[in-house]
Amino acid sequence: MRFTVRILLLLTLIALALPLAGCEDPEPVKRIDLTKREEITFRPRQVEVTYAYLPQYSHSLSYQRHNLLVEYLSEATGLTMRQVFPDTFDEHMNMVDQGQIDISFSNPFIYVKMAHRGGAQAFARIVEDSGKNFRGQIIVRQGNESIGTLADVRGKRWLAVDPSSAGGFLFPLGHFIEHGIQRKDFAEVAFAPGPGGKQEKVVLGVASGQYDVGSIREGTLALMADKVDLSQIRVLAETRWYPGWVYSARKGLNQEIVRKIKSAMLALSQDNPRHLPILENAGFTAIIPSQDSDFDPVRLLAASIGLDVGK
Amino acid sequence: MHMPIPFLNRLKFQDKINLGTACIVIFFGLITALSVTRVSVDSILEGNRERGTSMARNLALRAIDPMLGRDSLRLKNLVDQMAGLSDYINYAFVLDRQGDVLAHTFKKGFPVELKDANEAFEKGVRIQLLDTGEARIYDFAAPVIIGGDRYGTVRLGISQVRVQTAKREVMVTIFGITAAVTLAAMVLSTIFARGVAKSINLLRESAEEVVRGNLDVQTAKALGRNCWEVMRCYNKGCPAYHDDRHRCWYLAGTLCPECQDVHLPEKFESCRTCKVYRENVGDEIQSLAETFDVMALTLNAYIDELKHAKSDLERQKSLMQTILDVTPDLVSLQDRDLKYIAVNKAFCTYFHKNESDVIGITDFDIFNEEQADTNYHEDQQILITGQSLSKQILVGRTGNRRWFHIIKVPVYDGETIIGLLLTARDISVIKQYQERLIHSQKMQDLGKLAGGVAHEINTPLGIILGYAQLLIEDVPEGEQMREDLKIIERQTKVCRKIVSDLLGFSRNIESSMESMELNKSLTDVVELVQHIFRQERVTVDTDLDPNVPPIVADEDKLKQVWMNLLNNAFDAIGSDGHILVGTKLCSHRRRVLVTVADTGSGIKEGNMGRVFDPFFTTKPAGEGTGLGLSVSFGIITDHGGKISVTSPAPVEYLETGDDKTGTRPPGPGTLFIIELPLTKEGLPDEECPEAIDLKSGIQAV
Repeated sequence: MRFTVRILLLLTLIALALPLAGCEDPEPVKRIDLTKREEITFRPRQVEVTYAYLPQYSHSLSYQRHNLLVEYLSEATGLTMRQVFPDTFDEHMNMVDQGQIDISFSNPFIYVKMAHRGGAQAFARIVEDSGKNFRGQIIVRQGNESIGTLADVRGKRWLAVDPSSAGGFLFPLGHFIEHGIQRKDFAEVAFAPGPGGKQEKVVLGVASGQYDVGSIREGTLALMADKVDLSQIRVLAETRWYPGWVYSARKGLNQEIVRKIKSAMLALSQDNPRHLPILENAGFTAIIPSQDSDFDPVRLLAASIGLDVGK
Repeated sequence: MHMPIPFLNRLKFQDKINLGTACIVIFFGLITALSVTRVSVDSILEGNRERGTSMARNLALRAIDPMLGRDSLRLKNLVDQMAGLSDYINYAFVLDRQGDVLAHTFKKGFPVELKDANEAFEKGVRIQLLDTGEARIYDFAAPVIIGGDRYGTVRLGISQVRVQTAKREVMVTIFGITAAVTLAAMVLSTIFARGVAKSINLLRESAEEVVRGNLDVQTAKALGRNCWEVMRCYNKGCPAYHDDRHRCWYLAGTLCPECQDVHLPEKFESCRTCKVYRENVGDEIQSLAETFDVMALTLNAYIDELKHAKSDLERQKSLMQTILDVTPDLVSLQDRDLKYIAVNKAFCTYFHKNESDVIGITDFDIFNEEQADTNYHEDQQILITGQSLSKQILVGRTGNRRWFHIIKVPVYDGETIIGLLLTARDISVIKQYQERLIHSQKMQDLGKLAGGVAHEINTPLGIILGYAQLLIEDVPEGEQMREDLKIIERQTKVCRKIVSDLLGFSRNIESSMESMELNKSLTDVVELVQHIFRQERVTVDTDLDPNVPPIVADEDKLKQVWMNLLNNAFDAIGSDGHILVGTKLCSHRRRVLVTVADTGSGIKEGNMGRVFDPFFTTKPAGEGTGLGLSVSFGIITDHGGKISVTSPAPVEYLETGDDKTGTRPPGPGTLFIIELPLTKEGLPDEECPEAIDLKSGIQAV
């Protein structure tokens, strides 16, 4: 029996020793020394023209849509341009006011506000597939039988993009008021939470049944085609047309810079193969000249809905 | 099977099974553990890579907004959160498009070498194993992609310790399981092996019992159901009925109707179809045990038969030995090397040896060299030629010489001679008879011659005597002539006496056979001589059987015989002796014995065969004619009887009578035995029981 125990011990040792031979990792190893340290210092910024897209979408989407355009403008104007990403509409407006954003791409309501507050000056506006103007859409969930007409929205929960959103709140609010529906008629008026991506959040909020009524700018649904089953969404109503998104320069920006940028923007053409991806990326068909008076209808709407553009 | 390693042979069966099981389990456990460990480690590594890749991608995605927003705080929080997810995450940092570090988790400065230690693919995560000298770190580099545009890179360092720990846990688990399985297998194999070893030990113990001679073993376990229960059999005459010690199929002569009339080993085949067998059949060891029991049973039967055969053989051997020992012939059996392989009792007695001393030796160990050499050449001749040998030889020293009739025959086993059988019969007595026959014939012829001569001489002797007596009457007394004539007369009378004796010896004298009293004739003669013999202090006693009936004989002649024998006895004694005369009627009443014994000087051995020859005498010249006994021989033979002599005489004949206190010690003595028939047919063939003892020492008749 002692012999058997010895044999078993030997076998156990072999059993333990064998796998050790296969423990080494076959992966290539790079030796580094972690003890050599340095403090991180950021490179000094060059003089640059800052470009910001009103954060109605996420930063990355904003970046994707406008990156090529920014690069084009840098290249075309010889200016160093950099896209910046404010988190909220207010931050956007504040940054324009504070000179942190030189070129602002915003909806007409924001522009009206910024023009009123800080003297921003419109110099161009975009042309989309739908035209050079845009409008808002009031959407409900397809299966929500309780809302058949616009009048049925009373007592329902309304999710809007942002209090400052033109297509996503103000246009539809004007539309409701024109149809005799006041803000107070809704059981709840909520705005999409968090920074960026607010249009998408409204669509998702309605599609999931979290809210009964949603308000978005026209064109949003097309962008959401790959994220939401659009058959679940029904467009209850559309607002009237308003002037579309506008490029404005902050107060005090060198007019030469504005001129160069405006010139470069207006030069964009779908016929130019180099410009086409820039325009497609940004969702434009063209950029046309604009001026502050183009946005008077917006100012009227603001007045009609009781919006103080000075705030 | 020969074990390749000698010490494995010494292991117990149970240990061998345990060792074999352990080897198999450990071997396969090792194989399994190695492969499973490898697969598991690969899986862990892959999982770790995927997890790290996923985390890096996640970090890259989450870093987009802060990066776009140049929000260093959010980036810092992001990498810190990421690093805080697990203790195994060593670091996380974000590089911008230009490769500048935007945020990192290191406390005191950023490691210079780390920045370039790994670089993301264009759109994929790249993993690089880093060795910092203190630990190994998987570095995951994921690009920050915004709309297909590479905006920066995030890097994530995950310690390999986690992988190693997981690997170790897997290995410990697997080897633990292997060890547990090995232990379980050992326990199970021990239980199993113990069962098997128990059966084998039972077999071994049974085998040892068989070796010890106990064939009444039962190795196989008892049946679940016995044959009579299975078959519902109530045949009490069957040997298997209620015999639960043996399988029914073991027993010869079972009366089961399903059993064909076959015996072992063919019975096994018919048993395989029997439902009793099928119901109780077990594994190979049980079959082996059952077969072992059958073997023991069969052996028992064979041994019984062998015992019977041995008993028979011993009985026959004993019988044969008895026959051989009883026979007075010397019998021996020699092998081809002429060594004795069997001898009988007579053989041993003759050579004064034990049987064990004779077995294995040759003639050279028994006989002198010359005799042994002679025997050797004779024996070899027989073994070569196959011819038997028959001869008569005289052996022994003078005084104890004996005749043997030797027969040597070759012993065959089939066509081959395997030995030599010798029988040696003592024919000394036959030889004596032969000699006596020759002697008798010679005596008869001599008697005729003597009778003829005496008859022819008798007449001239009568004339010479007559004329001599006439002349004496004519010559006056005192003259010389008269003295001379008297000498002639006296010597002539001597001659006539001799002639008369010769005539008597030749039986030419006519006999007058009449009924007579044997005892009386003896008494008459004894009384006649008693007085004379006593003068020389020689006593004569009689021991006469009163039952002796009258016989038909010539009384005068018989008295002449008695007188002759008494005179010879007296002459042999000389003085101071004893003579015993006796008669004895044989029990079969057809023969009567007359014995005359004396305490005289006896007869020398060389003279024994000559005492009845005519003219043979040991007396001095002039004192005997040497015709007394020859005449007596003739008389007795004429009566159809026999006369024989032995010397020295048996002691009981010498110590009877009153002279037991005699002045002289008794001599060797002589005993004469006369046998006379009581019927006309002469002496019967059968010996007289009373004479057998006496005649054993008889030397001459």
